[in-house]
Amino acid sequence: MLLDLHAHSVKSDDGRAKVANYCQWIKAKELPIDGFVLTEHRQFDDESDYSDIGAKFGLTILKGSEVETEYGHVLVFGVTEPLTREFDFASIHLPLAQVIEASERHGAVAIPCHPGRPRVGMAAHIDEFGVPVGVRIVEVYNGGSRDDEDAIAQAMATELGYRGIGGSDAHIVSHIGRCATRFSQQVNNETELVEALKAGEFEAVTFREAS
Amino acid sequence: MTEPLDIDALTARYVGPVFDEKTFTFDAQELADFAQACGETASRYTDPADPDFQASPTMPTRLHPGARFPEGFPEVAGLGMDAGKAIQPIAPIRPGETIVGRTHMHEIYTKTGRSGRMVFFVNRMELFDASEQQLAVSDSRIVIREKPSE
Amino acid sequence: MSESNIATVADVEFGVELPAFLPDISIDNVKRFAVAAHWDFPRFTDHEAARSEGLPGALVPGIMSQGFFAAMIHRWADGAQINSIDTIFRAPVLVDSTCTINGVVTDIDEDNGQVEIDLTMLNEKGETRVFGTAQITLPV
Repeated sequence: MLLDLHAHSVKSDDGRAKVANYCQWIKAKELPIDGFVLTEHRQFDDESDYSDIGAKFGLTILKGSEVETEYGHVLVFGVTEPLTREFDFASIHLPLAQVIEASERHGAVAIPCHPGRPRVGMAAHIDEFGVPVGVRIVEVYNGGSRDDEDAIAQAMATELGYRGIGGSDAHIVSHIGRCATRFSQQVNNETELVEALKAGEFEAVTFREAS
Repeated sequence: MTEPLDIDALTARYVGPVFDEKTFTFDAQELADFAQACGETASRYTDPADPDFQASPTMPTRLHPGARFPEGFPEVAGLGMDAGKAIQPIAPIRPGETIVGRTHMHEIYTKTGRSGRMVFFVNRMELFDASEQQLAVSDSRIVIREKPSE
Repeated sequence: MSESNIATVADVEFGVELPAFLPDISIDNVKRFAVAAHWDFPRFTDHEAARSEGLPGALVPGIMSQGFFAAMIHRWADGAQINSIDTIFRAPVLVDSTCTINGVVTDIDEDNGQVEIDLTMLNEKGETRVFGTAQITLPV
């Protein structure tokens, strides 16, 4: 099963895509992904229910978040209402250790995204802050990466023994599915997504054309 | 190092009220040059002799208010860059007519980017003709990349 | 001269790509634009002056990229009425470089003729520099 683990809708300040249009695009273009996770910036979108849209298009649509820490941006999967009370998702100064610890305590998983990116990626902060405790997975394919950002992420993952996921980081409809994560098992909801990530039964894939 | 901006306080104080009003007139040839340089092919934008000649739909985003920020707005440190433009054309803008642009601060928000904390200021200019018919709404996102702490 | 072959919303299909557009971002054309737009600043029109500001070279004004988006739509559908174009400048576009603009239809409302389009400006390496969305109206 292939899921794009990193996408933004109009719920994000810089997102311009409607969820139904993502679905329509995936089907019209026969993209190989089976669904995607909405990881809105600095928030958990608790109010939207995409189950009907997902059912209509035969796609799995899950919700997570992209928060901001001193190590850069971090995807959080398996967000629950109690977890949203543990820290301020809107803050741009979250301590990564707090995000990881709270996520684990509430059955979620925190994954640094685009870690090879200047400033907002984890690799840029290791010299200053050291290797963070508790990171086991990082995003090694990001659809918005430029230059050698993905290569930096992959090198860091190899050196530090992290597993890698992929996500498009789509902000507009036509960017969905540029990168994804292949799971060996079916993932139907956020709980199963967290279980699959913790079990390590996945691999990152990219569909971006080599430049 | 200057103190980080207090976004909530700035929003409460400055977002909403019109802080600038400025009039503009447009020269036909300049409008045509603007359109042609952008690669427009529709003659209503490129040919001043076209009976429906008008400004390109995106032209209003080039307009600057008389003041960048409301009066009393704190000095912002860092390099201000153009982060984005949004335009909603409502009615044609013709050369020669005088239009008025009224600007208010529409939104302030922060995020972190490739170059540190960024503060976004969205200024919205609404354009009206002499009869107060609205012609366009133009949003300008200015991003200030705050200098990192020493 | 127009390349348009889209007259009504019925001519549009979801997912269709607009003809790729190679914008003219030569220094001469950017200068012409900058003068017409009253944005005649050295950071847009003079590589050396831009470098002295710490930039990698003269930059294509963001409003010019937005203008390219509008032009691309009109080349595709001459009669399109643009209701909105929202443009996000993700990374600088260098004057005298080579860029391509792609556009794809991402939503169609056949009842009222409204069409949404994703627009992406890419550099030589295929990296997104500017992206945006447009909503247009076509005759029903």
